[in-house]
Amino acid sequence: MRFYKSPSNLIEEQNQFEVDIKAYTDGHINPVKFKAIRVAHGVYEQRQEHTYMIRIRCAAGGITPNQLKKVAELATLYGSDEVHFTTRQEVQVHNVLIQDVIKVIRGLNEVELSSRGGGGNTIRNILTPPLSGVEKDEVFDVDPYAIALTTRMIAEPDSWNLPRKFKIAFSNSALDTAITQATCLGFVATIKDNQKGFAVYTAGGMGAKPMVGHLLLDFIPDTKVYHVTRAIKTMFDKNGNRRSKYSSRIKFLWKKLAEEGFKELFYEDYNQIKDDESLNLVLEPIENKAKDDISLAIEKVESPEFEQFKMRYVSKQKQEGLVAIKLPLVLGDLLRRDADRLCDVLDQFGDNTIRCDRAQNMRLRNIPEEYLGNIFNAIKKMEYTLADHAAFIGNMINCTGAQTCKLGICLPRGLSTALRDRLANSDLNLDAIPDFRLNMSGCPNTCGMHHVADLGFFGKIGRKDGNMYPAYNVLAGAIVGKGKTKYAEKEAEIPAHAVPELVYLFLKDYIEQKEDYNSYQEYLEAEGKALIKELCDSLKDVPDLADDKSFYIDFGAKRMLRLDDMGTAECSAGMFDMINVDKRTMESILKKNPDIATIANEELYTIMFHTARMLLVTRGLDATAEEQIFSLFGKHFIQTELIDIKYLELVEEAKKKNYSYLSEHRESVIGISEAIRSLYKTMDDSLRFKASLKQPKQEIKEEVKKENKTNIEKDYRGVGCPMNFVKTKLVLETMSVGDELTVLLDDGAPIQNVPNSVKLEGHKVRSQEKDGSGHWKVLIEKG
Amino acid sequence: MTLSEEQIERYSRHIILQDVGGEGQEKILNSKVLIIGTGGLGAPAALYLAAAGVGNLGIIDSDVVDLSNLQRQVIHFTPDVGKPKVESAKEKIAEINPDVNVTAIHDLFRADNALDIIKDYDFIIDGTDNFPAKFLINDACVMGEKPFSHGGILRFDGQTMTYVPGSASYRCVFNGPPPPNSVPTCSQAGVFGAIAGMLGTIQAAEALKYIIGKGDLLTNRLLIFDALKMNFRTVNVKPNQERLKITKLVDAEQASCELKNG
Repeated sequence: MRFYKSPSNLIEEQNQFEVDIKAYTDGHINPVKFKAIRVAHGVYEQRQEHTYMIRIRCAAGGITPNQLKKVAELATLYGSDEVHFTTRQEVQVHNVLIQDVIKVIRGLNEVELSSRGGGGNTIRNILTPPLSGVEKDEVFDVDPYAIALTTRMIAEPDSWNLPRKFKIAFSNSALDTAITQATCLGFVATIKDNQKGFAVYTAGGMGAKPMVGHLLLDFIPDTKVYHVTRAIKTMFDKNGNRRSKYSSRIKFLWKKLAEEGFKELFYEDYNQIKDDESLNLVLEPIENKAKDDISLAIEKVESPEFEQFKMRYVSKQKQEGLVAIKLPLVLGDLLRRDADRLCDVLDQFGDNTIRCDRAQNMRLRNIPEEYLGNIFNAIKKMEYTLADHAAFIGNMINCTGAQTCKLGICLPRGLSTALRDRLANSDLNLDAIPDFRLNMSGCPNTCGMHHVADLGFFGKIGRKDGNMYPAYNVLAGAIVGKGKTKYAEKEAEIPAHAVPELVYLFLKDYIEQKEDYNSYQEYLEAEGKALIKELCDSLKDVPDLADDKSFYIDFGAKRMLRLDDMGTAECSAGMFDMINVDKRTMESILKKNPDIATIANEELYTIMFHTARMLLVTRGLDATAEEQIFSLFGKHFIQTELIDIKYLELVEEAKKKNYSYLSEHRESVIGISEAIRSLYKTMDDSLRFKASLKQPKQEIKEEVKKENKTNIEKDYRGVGCPMNFVKTKLVLETMSVGDELTVLLDDGAPIQNVPNSVKLEGHKVRSQEKDGSGHWKVLIEKG
Repeated sequence: MTLSEEQIERYSRHIILQDVGGEGQEKILNSKVLIIGTGGLGAPAALYLAAAGVGNLGIIDSDVVDLSNLQRQVIHFTPDVGKPKVESAKEKIAEINPDVNVTAIHDLFRADNALDIIKDYDFIIDGTDNFPAKFLINDACVMGEKPFSHGGILRFDGQTMTYVPGSASYRCVFNGPPPPNSVPTCSQAGVFGAIAGMLGTIQAAEALKYIIGKGDLLTNRLLIFDALKMNFRTVNVKPNQERLKITKLVDAEQASCELKNG
């Protein structure tokens, strides 16, 4: 079995990626552009330059023993010899050098795994509860939906260039363990009138500006999952904010449009497709059973340790005679040796035996109860697990933090280890709180899921006498459940080094008082929150740097806290980053030279160059040669009169690198630079110009031919479907990649069909605008 | 070449396909396919290849239309009885698609004319009804390095495979014509008419895929179906280098009662 099917063009995309990697290492592609390419392939640069992490999609958290073995093998060959389990139910390979990236990606093909869409502005890994399909009280198994939806979405070319990431989750019951309200689009299994279906939530998200998702649809039949997803994706693609990565996720669209406006846009797309049964997902049932012919000899184990293991980590499945097992990993890491040993045993029970959960642990399933001893013995032989600790220890969640992440402030991995040292061998009865969620993030981004924690932490910088020390914000009291999710709230702040003592003292009180309350919530309200504040206050003191340096060095760090190697977020690289590079370069020259007379000639040229390049990307244009950049700018910005035609000569002279001309016309250089930046300001969030475009003039078409770029316009008004598409396609075939075609189409079926069909063939639809007479003008870039 | 407005419309459902497109359609219009035999298999293959716009279609058959052919050889109509099959077929093709240029050869495909006939074509379809002809076509195509589609039907069963230079040939699978006593007698050798259409159209699809260069051909695979149970399966086959060495063509005699079922 497999948990998704990779799209048929994946190999081609990988070949292109290989070409791009080479172009980048040869210096032909700049790092910002390369980032936009690689993150969409699930390849992130780590904090250490030129070292990469590769994230591998595991739909519904599923991976087969065979696949996991291969990932571990690739990790050993090309990275560090362990597989990392993430908080989003995927696996990652760390410390891969640029020249090996493509080898890992190709190696994954052998076991039908893919890193495509692992990061970037794409459809991310689709989540389900780790016990879906085997849990006794579930409404129904949601894994088949997540799997079929994954296969469908990753085959759609427009899934790779959304305004921002798009996260989807399914829950198998109202407990909502997949936390659908904390995600862009969530489905909660429900039965209504004997029909399987889902309640649909949308516009949730964590991060630095957390929002709890809203109910979009009370009930949809289970056949409509794709239709809803498609409609949300389409509206997001059309209306999402591509200008600012900080307000581009679906939750911000809800905020901007408010409920009514959001739903109106949604129904506009949804109503068009909702009755199309050909779009129904093709579900493949996931069988939860063990292999029929198990060739292992049953290993009987009788020991108190085994009994304790069963109590902590084993649960009966709804399938008679089968059990599910939680396997707690140390910080989500699985060593290759351990992976091999474990997978060899699991393989005996079948392909459907592993899920990743959000606490970075492994979940094993479909194990016949009589073989539990075999699994126990296999786990005992593993070198690196937390299986002999209380479940609480393995449940702690932390992001990777500043160890590898460019954004990290603190090192939650180090904190997690310090907490384990403090708690595991203490007098606390941690078995009393097996499900307690203690989640830690290294920065305000929520990779460690601190918003949905019972007790959560996220990193911040503390300062004493101007010296920085690692510190954490303390949060508490999240509620998770269908329709009632609420995020944890900040209660206090505390130095990183005081966290273990805080947690110890807090849990000690909670465990003692637990029996007196119906729920943790009740305890928190009655005394827990007050206790947190009180404890934080008593633990807030930091010694002077001269007296004790240790408070200034984070857990697991070798030196004092410093942020000079921090970078920008990896995952969201897009157009705006590329635009900002140009914008900032110009602005810094201008800032440095308040008097324009002092700007050096080279700098004037630099301003011209960045002026010309800055917004080319919004037209879907790409050029590296300087002359070509000026030519494209002339054609697309000056001939179209987006920028005043009076600058034409200036651009021509800049193209010739005529420094003395630039020097004599320095006011014009500043003028055009201001013009391009104010044009940027007038663009709407999806980076379309509000000003209307004029067609390039005739004489420029000659110019166009010289640089082999074409812009053709065709009038297909009055041409019905599908002949309008046929004709569009035939014209595109005669063009080269990057050329542009504008087609005029009728309203109704033509505008609904042609752009989508064009996209499915791999071309880009740059814009579509309705003119005054009710016709549509669609700008296509040949892909 | 550029497609005319009429061609764009006629072939629009091909052009829409991502794997065909205008480029693929132009390849089809420029292609040359030879169909050997215009009987049960050749009839549907010729109809679909003509409809698809194969620019040059060669047809060779020495027979005339017989009333008993009409149960399955759908390119021939009742008034055609007694007419040479290639002439009957050429008339229908012209009516289906005037784009198609037909070369009709009213003759037998023989060892002495085989190489000369196939040399002008890009792809050959075996639509014959007897083993000697099938082996002759195989040997000529291997010698002349021409891709071809083998096809055969009997009763409710059909089989087909595609040869391209380097892949397994018909002879790699079946060394030579079967011994006489193993071949069904005339009374056993009926054929269920519709399966001629099933198999002939598979052959046409293989020819078109080869022309546009898309998809996976039935190379090194033998497709077998039983229309009575409606079971389809493919059997993997391997090239046999010895059997791919053809040095000379021969006209063998049909071993048993001629099975004019093709």
